[in-house]
Amino acid sequence: MEFFKLEIVTPEGVIFDNNVKQVTLPGSEGEFGVLPGHATLVSLLDTGVIVIDNAEGKEIAVAINSGYVKVDEEKTLCIVEGAVAISGDDNEIAAAIEAAKKLLKSAETTNATIATAVSKIEKIKG
Amino acid sequence: MASLKDIQRKIKSVKNTQKTTRAMKLVSSAKLRRTEELAKKSKVYANKLNELINEIAQKMCESESNLSDTPYFNTTEAPKVVDIVFITADKGLCGGFNSQTIKRVNKLMAKYKEEGIEVRLRAIGRKGIDYFRFNSISMLNQIAGLSSSPDFEKSSEFIQEVASDFIEGRTNRVVVVNNGYVNMITQAIRENQLLPIDPIKFGVTETCSSSDLELEPDDNDALLEVLIKRYIEFSIYYALIDSLAAEHSARMQAMDSATNNAKDMVHQLSISYNKARQEAITTELIEIISGMESMK
Repeated sequence: MEFFKLEIVTPEGVIFDNNVKQVTLPGSEGEFGVLPGHATLVSLLDTGVIVIDNAEGKEIAVAINSGYVKVDEEKTLCIVEGAVAISGDDNEIAAAIEAAKKLLKSAETTNATIATAVSKIEKIKG
Repeated sequence: MASLKDIQRKIKSVKNTQKTTRAMKLVSSAKLRRTEELAKKSKVYANKLNELINEIAQKMCESESNLSDTPYFNTTEAPKVVDIVFITADKGLCGGFNSQTIKRVNKLMAKYKEEGIEVRLRAIGRKGIDYFRFNSISMLNQIAGLSSSPDFEKSSEFIQEVASDFIEGRTNRVVVVNNGYVNMITQAIRENQLLPIDPIKFGVTETCSSSDLELEPDDNDALLEVLIKRYIEFSIYYALIDSLAAEHSARMQAMDSATNNAKDMVHQLSISYNKARQEAITTELIEIISGMESMK
């Protein structure tokens, strides 16, 4: 299985830095997936959820408000303004989901965007 | 000679001051550690952002568009109006921290005035505001309370106003002056030209290497503009954190020396207290002895 490196950086620190199989990003022109060896690309990111397929085959969701992504063949770098990773045990997940919802709401997007993001998070968690 | 009671009172008051300064030092050192951590984290973000801007700017200079056509990068024109954004602390008791920044701002103002450039001041931090208000120098806008607790949203709100002034041509250059953190015992004044951005700072060279970077949305200017905006917002936020760290380290030092001074003073005072006490005893003894002598 091929992997590539994914980094998610916010002003408050590094949220994620690991090898992953695949990542789905909420681009400003529409959602897109990145696999190893993707062509070099820079894109704006909208409010939404980054879905990471990590090296162990687990899915991780990270809610973001806005930012950029720079993809090149062996590395993907997300620079986002605010992000909440949904991971850990059940209690932590519940708290993280609350935080994520708050973050999404603060981004002043449409309710539809928030609803989509939240349902995505809940799907992954379950 | 002051009376025994007076000296005692003085010692007590100095000791109380010492307690306060020691506590303030401890508070500052704890806060410094937290701020330092914050600064370290945001440094990573800043580096990555710079990398990205560099790449896009590089890409733009490959294509037909000239970088200095974009207002953000136009460094060639001589400025007519300069905005000075300066950051001071909200509180005093931190040695020369605030006055150093103010001094530098004054120097800059004098320099620009000599060149016939109009200067506008934008103040962050109560101490700077107080100073310029006292000297009746007008400020364009002023924010108090931001420098003691940097907040990304508030600082970007502030700087967006500056940026829009710049784009609309009300100002031609924006300079940020703040006192920055070097290490626990040193602070250094930083003077950064925020706008226009010097492409060289991002390592953009005239001879561009070709890269097949795809952009989405496929509009260099739009993407770069958003990035630059973020860069400016982040720069000011970082300057705030930097200034806060410097403030805490300056206060730590100031309070440390104040504690030491208080200690010396208590020592001096206890010596004079002891002397005064001895004197009182001697006088009393002499009185008793002379009384006895006269009875003989």
